[in-house]
Amino acid sequence: MNDPALIRRTRERVRWGVTYAILLGFAALTLIPFVWLVCASIKRADVFFQYQFLPLGDGFLGIDWQALTLTYYRELFTGANFNFGRSILNSIFYASTTATLSTLFCAMGGYALAKFHFKGRDGIASLVLGCLIIPGSLLLAPSYQLLYHLGLLDSFAGLILPSLAPAFGIYLFRQSMINAVPSELLEAARIDGCGEWRIFFTVVLPLVRPMIGAFLLITYLGCWNNFIGPQIIIQTPEKYPLAVEIAQLKGLYSINYGMLMAGTLISVAPVMVLFLFLQKEFIAGLTSGAVKG
Amino acid sequence: MQLSPGSWSILTLAVLSSIALYVFPIKPHSGESFWTFSLDLDLMYQPGIKGWNESHPDPAEQITTYVIGTDPLSRRLQSGFLSGTPVPDLTDVESSMVANFFSGPLDAVGFTDLTDLIHQEGLDKKINPASFSPWTNRGRIFGLPHDVHPVLLAYRADIVEAAGIDVSKIETWDDFIRVMSPLMQGPEGQRFLMNVWETNPRDMEVLLLQAGGGFFDQDLKPILNSEVNARVLATIVTWIAGPKRICVNAPDFDAEGNYLYLHGEVLCSLMPDWLAGVWMKDLPGMSGKMKLMPLPAWDKGGLRTSVVGGTMLAIPKRAPNFQRSWAFAKYLYLSPELARDMYRRVGIITPVREFWSDPVFDQPNPYFSGQASGRLYIQMAPYVPMRTSSPYKPQAVIAVNDALIRLKHFAESTNTFDVAALQAQARIELDSAQAVIQRKMAANAFLSSTQ
Amino acid sequence: MKTSANHTRWTPYFFLAPFLLTFCVFLAYPLYESAILAFSQTYGPSHHIWVGFANFKNMANDPDFWIALKNTTVYTLASVTIQLPLALILALILNQPGLKGRTIFRLIFFLPSLVGLVFVAMMFSLMLGDRDGLVNVMLRAIVPGFPREFPWLQNYVMPSLILASLWMYVGFNMVYFLAALQSVSQDAIDAANIDGANAFQRFLYVTLPEIRPVVGFVVLLSVIGSLQLFELPFVLLGGPGPERSGLTLVMYLYQNGFERSDLGFASAIGWTLAILLMGLALIQRRLSRNE
Repeated sequence: MNDPALIRRTRERVRWGVTYAILLGFAALTLIPFVWLVCASIKRADVFFQYQFLPLGDGFLGIDWQALTLTYYRELFTGANFNFGRSILNSIFYASTTATLSTLFCAMGGYALAKFHFKGRDGIASLVLGCLIIPGSLLLAPSYQLLYHLGLLDSFAGLILPSLAPAFGIYLFRQSMINAVPSELLEAARIDGCGEWRIFFTVVLPLVRPMIGAFLLITYLGCWNNFIGPQIIIQTPEKYPLAVEIAQLKGLYSINYGMLMAGTLISVAPVMVLFLFLQKEFIAGLTSGAVKG
Repeated sequence: MQLSPGSWSILTLAVLSSIALYVFPIKPHSGESFWTFSLDLDLMYQPGIKGWNESHPDPAEQITTYVIGTDPLSRRLQSGFLSGTPVPDLTDVESSMVANFFSGPLDAVGFTDLTDLIHQEGLDKKINPASFSPWTNRGRIFGLPHDVHPVLLAYRADIVEAAGIDVSKIETWDDFIRVMSPLMQGPEGQRFLMNVWETNPRDMEVLLLQAGGGFFDQDLKPILNSEVNARVLATIVTWIAGPKRICVNAPDFDAEGNYLYLHGEVLCSLMPDWLAGVWMKDLPGMSGKMKLMPLPAWDKGGLRTSVVGGTMLAIPKRAPNFQRSWAFAKYLYLSPELARDMYRRVGIITPVREFWSDPVFDQPNPYFSGQASGRLYIQMAPYVPMRTSSPYKPQAVIAVNDALIRLKHFAESTNTFDVAALQAQARIELDSAQAVIQRKMAANAFLSSTQ
Repeated sequence: MKTSANHTRWTPYFFLAPFLLTFCVFLAYPLYESAILAFSQTYGPSHHIWVGFANFKNMANDPDFWIALKNTTVYTLASVTIQLPLALILALILNQPGLKGRTIFRLIFFLPSLVGLVFVAMMFSLMLGDRDGLVNVMLRAIVPGFPREFPWLQNYVMPSLILASLWMYVGFNMVYFLAALQSVSQDAIDAANIDGANAFQRFLYVTLPEIRPVVGFVVLLSVIGSLQLFELPFVLLGGPGPERSGLTLVMYLYQNGFERSDLGFASAIGWTLAILLMGLALIQRRLSRNE
């Protein structure tokens, strides 16, 4: 027992054991609410609080399959006072169009700031940085008033237009293009007689593919989960995105837990799926703004 | 251009969803829209609405109800009034919602001013006058009231009568405590007389209004720090704290509270008509054990009822066809069938006086041990106190409730549980509540400039 | 017309046009409007009255404002001092060389941050149920003597908010820290090892200085986000909560600005928040410059 190599190996094993124990513990804590959410959305009302996850019973695998139900999902899509199918469409529209357009415009803006020399470039770059620190809550009231004067209240345009070219996106694309787009390539393309737009779409954009994927998802996520904006601006129920629709459900059906959880699951699942496709780019893009190189 | 599948999926979604929104546009609602905030109310209206829809086959005159939660209803109405977003043809409005609608200039109130019509058509004679008071702002009436909401005292008749107590001998709160106190020693331990508690501002409001106090006068000036209010708060504190405590915390709509009721640990409860309806639905286990009696008065000969809550039916100014909406409003709220149905389903008595003689209210109610509960409430209906439509009422209630809580702490920390001694301190706490509300009211440039 | 840099003069301006247009219309102009609004009172967007400093005076006299400020500050401090160290520790653990499944763990920890605050609030409103909520059931299983009922949403509102946001954001911040840790130059670490430094010294003198910019960024992001907390308590408690324990600055703004329709007061609150934020940002700048 005095063999130093053995002591070292044992210490190593203990260290790895503790490490994995901690990680697995946290992973479990992180995932349990998701599992709970899925179970909660299909449990019958009478067994809802009896069992935290799936109701136990005499069925296959010791689970009482009879106590599970899909009525909540049915109710959400076909019930008289619900617009869930419509809300999903609204959310998809709002999130995907904003993501697409803002990615395009931010790529354009970032490109200009990264690869061109022109009067006012540094001024605009500082402007972009300054915008990052303006709190969104400051703009809530005056934006509402502006949209009222423009006649854009209670419309998708009112939601989408203000967020078409966020400074955050310009910043990310600028960072990304400074590194990924070599100026020589641009020079070469120009010498070949390529128009600027063609250069942008065929040379520049392919070089920042990861950032495109990342920013698309970042924006999509932001819009999908946005609550306070739509809550203030959208007043027609048929235009509610999911976040607003679900909050309203909570007010009227506060004790119909299964339905609330089914609605939440529907709202949460699509983004998870998208994320699984784009996770590497997403995380890389997200952290690129902070970590240099 | 090569993009990852994730990116393509977002781009595809953008295109597909745009197409979908174009192909499935939002269908405009035909006919009249009627917003309400409660599923129960909606259920109650359905027979009346069906009748109307059958006798008005024109699609433009068909009524459709939309059940929206209280908060979204309030928000959408306000947005509609002030920012031009869609408004309904008719809407229910709850008393807790009106504050925002009356906090601006009078001409900005989004509901149609019905005062003249109500006088012309004699509705002010048909309907209990006090019922208009929460919806009357700066002299103008903005809706048709849906209720009267008198308050009685519900008590455990089985226990009280078994002890040989005759409740008709009780005239004042002092009588009440004197006569009922022996019941507090129950066979299984301590019982309590009531569930009034500082965390329930509603009961506090009931007692304040019963005593002749309240929050605002008819000119909408705050009267929070009146002697009457001070006396009521001081008395409440002696009920909920100290050696002569008669109350326990048994909240409504709560499993804990229900348990205490069912086990006879709380003997009485302040019971507006709508709450009686709720109990009948949610606490069937109390059926046949309860009875109703008028509230014990604060002084001999004093008021034996109170009022709390309420709903009105209003027509937004921007509703396209006012005459049609008004015709339906009268049809619904002035229909004897609805009055009967409302009482049968949710225990609420109608504000329309000529329906008060309807035999439905004399039916023995098995829940209340065979008493004709409707008749008992109607007997109190003409005496229900007036209220105001001040936009600062919700904040005033909170301010006075805070004063009550501070008073209770004072009593407990100085061991003072004598009403006369507490009254002076109550006055002090209410003075600060009054100051808070006065400050808030002064801060409203729209109201103070028209004062 | 080509300049010496060989591109048409107007190209960059065209490319920046969407940003500049959006900026002017939807950022600069509202910012300017909000400065005027802050000195007015409105009843909706069409009734305005000039009131000078009255909004700020009323805010200062309103006990609800101070409650909101206190709650928001407490929450922000808790976020920075609890969430971030936890995220850093997790990142350090995950950064150990030779760890298997790093990507999977990173993915799992990151998932909660994808769920919107509204949806997190929906889940936790049930999970924090007094008697049979998931959280209490788990605590009862782990902690001996844990009471049968624990009223999170009545008496422990701030801890509930902190708990929910912990679940949401620890993974998010951890990802930043992990990326930063992985970019720490191996040479510096090797040098430290050669000098005989132990793990703790290595961390303090090599790692920490190198990740300082990211830490600063994450702290700033966290502070900006925490100061604007709204959706979580709003949906979780259905409003300010018992005794206004869940009232935050932005909720105060929403209630006064949009429930009471006073856009002027809302702008005044917005500026107060912005000044608070700028003050904190300046402090952070000065602190990092002094290093």
